[in-house]
Amino acid sequence: MGRYKAGLLMEKSCNCRAPVSYRRYAIHDKLRTTLFCMSRPRFLLLLWLLSDLLLFVGLYTLAYFMRVGWILSSNFPLRPFLISSLLVAPIWLLVLGTTRTFALTRNQRTIRNAAYIAYAALVGVALFTLAFYFRYKTSFQGVSRLLLLEAFILTAGGTWTWHLIFDLLRRMALRRSPPSFPTLIVGLTRESKTLIRQLNQHRNPLVPVAILDGQGTKESEIDGVPVCGKLDRLEETLQQKEITHLVQCSTLEQSLNLLSACRRRGITYILLPSVLGIVERDEHVESLEGLPVTVVRPSRTAWYSFFF
Amino acid sequence: MRAFLLAGGFATRLWPLTEKRAKPLLPLAGKPLIDHVLEQLPADLPVTVSVNVAFQESFAHWKAQSKHANAEILVEQSRKDTEKLGALGAVAQWITQQRITDDVLLLTGDNYFGFSIQNFLQQYTPGTPLIAAFDIKDPKQAQGFGTIVPDGDGKHVAAFEEKPAHPQSSLVSTGLSVLPAIHLPIVEEYARQKPDNVGGIFEEFLRKGIPVEFRAYTEPWFDIGSFEAYLEATRILVGNRVHLGHGAACEKTTAEGPVVLGNHSVVRNATLRNVIMFEHCTVEDCVLTDCILDDHCVLKGIDLSRQMLREGTILERK
Repeated sequence: MGRYKAGLLMEKSCNCRAPVSYRRYAIHDKLRTTLFCMSRPRFLLLLWLLSDLLLFVGLYTLAYFMRVGWILSSNFPLRPFLISSLLVAPIWLLVLGTTRTFALTRNQRTIRNAAYIAYAALVGVALFTLAFYFRYKTSFQGVSRLLLLEAFILTAGGTWTWHLIFDLLRRMALRRSPPSFPTLIVGLTRESKTLIRQLNQHRNPLVPVAILDGQGTKESEIDGVPVCGKLDRLEETLQQKEITHLVQCSTLEQSLNLLSACRRRGITYILLPSVLGIVERDEHVESLEGLPVTVVRPSRTAWYSFFF
Repeated sequence: MRAFLLAGGFATRLWPLTEKRAKPLLPLAGKPLIDHVLEQLPADLPVTVSVNVAFQESFAHWKAQSKHANAEILVEQSRKDTEKLGALGAVAQWITQQRITDDVLLLTGDNYFGFSIQNFLQQYTPGTPLIAAFDIKDPKQAQGFGTIVPDGDGKHVAAFEEKPAHPQSSLVSTGLSVLPAIHLPIVEEYARQKPDNVGGIFEEFLRKGIPVEFRAYTEPWFDIGSFEAYLEATRILVGNRVHLGHGAACEKTTAEGPVVLGNHSVVRNATLRNVIMFEHCTVEDCVLTDCILDDHCVLKGIDLSRQMLREGTILERK
């Protein structure tokens, strides 16, 4: 909380009963203060959602001009096209949100993520077609298959490209000191050392700031991250380093206690599968009759195994 | 004579139970382990309890409620494992700073002594170091302790080995000994070299040609250093019964092995096997096996085995 104290002080100094000339400044000040007070992750998320909304409408408009030409056609006017895309944009954003694309710690540069974005783009095109048909039935003949195909390609490709760019900006912003997601690593194993190096190397928003080891270790730091002691220093470390994420990399018998500490302080708990002896890297969290379960399947080569 | 009780460890192996309290303050069969020890000492024997800064508060709280008014708390200025003076270092510092000129009864605070300490004190020959020994029977288990190789007379120590790889004897030091006043300068000097080696002082005495005596006991003795040892000590002391603290209740519950419910802990519709609950715990519709629950734990609809739960853990199946 202390981190945003300056912002709160700024808000208090804002005087809304000032003369008109000052009031404009006050409004600007208030907006700036609100953004400043808002935590970095929230601000980035808001920026991301808004930019995606504008991008969606912009890309549909681009698809329109690419088909119609760089003129305002009277046969197939822009206005209904724009309104339909504006109507669909929030729903498209919601669909994209359900794929957890906007998770601030997610790597955007993956095939899976690209597939999610393409899926949302496809849903967007379908929704747009329906919206346009039911709202502007008479002008619907202007909506060609090629236009829809272009809209799909542009929204899928454009959104992914923007997400890749935003990913870079986001990583920079979230890692700036003090980091938005100070992360505690519990357990010093080869797996955890690799994780720390990967997080630092790829500038992941989760910034390892401390390591605790259940057994104790002679190593004093890993990749610049200090080893702060054994688990008896847990509470102190969580408090002093303002930990937001805890990654358990060993000491399986203490899972309940680490979870308990995380729950009490509202910290996100992450478990490396290797703690459970899962090292195949093909584990999945699935559901068995509504109960979440971790599944590791024997490797199968048959094509139909994809469906199981 | 004066007694010095070592309670300055950080007990990281028993985390999270020792997150806020030192091992000597862990409840054993309804009262803190330290009380089991102090109750055995002569009432007029001045006792100094050596603690570290991290657990200073918990000892102050214990002292306020304790009936051992003659126990003095000595705070060692260490907050972490790495800052410790060392057990022998703490003894030596106390001897130097307090200018101790009496015989010293040295006790480790995380041990339970089932034998009579007063009987042990009666066996003391002034000027001769004395160790209380326990026959652990299994030489392999003896590897983790200071072992005593007896002389032919069954009274004197021929050799003392601290955590030997190949023990020559299954007689182990219990952490209860008498250091004669005349030899305290040797303790101070040895502590400067090896501040963490309490057992080593007896090797040093023998090296200097000072005879060391021992008395072997067969009554229960436990070094409460691990989860297993803690449960085992409870099993021996409580037996196959339910030990209820003040205000504790156990309703519609099946209990097997020792079950200890601390003050104001409540259990309903559960199955408990070898379970220790500290104070103000609530357990409903659970199956718990070999579990230790710290204060204010709430468990509902959960099955657990071999767990130590930290204070305030809440697990409710939705």
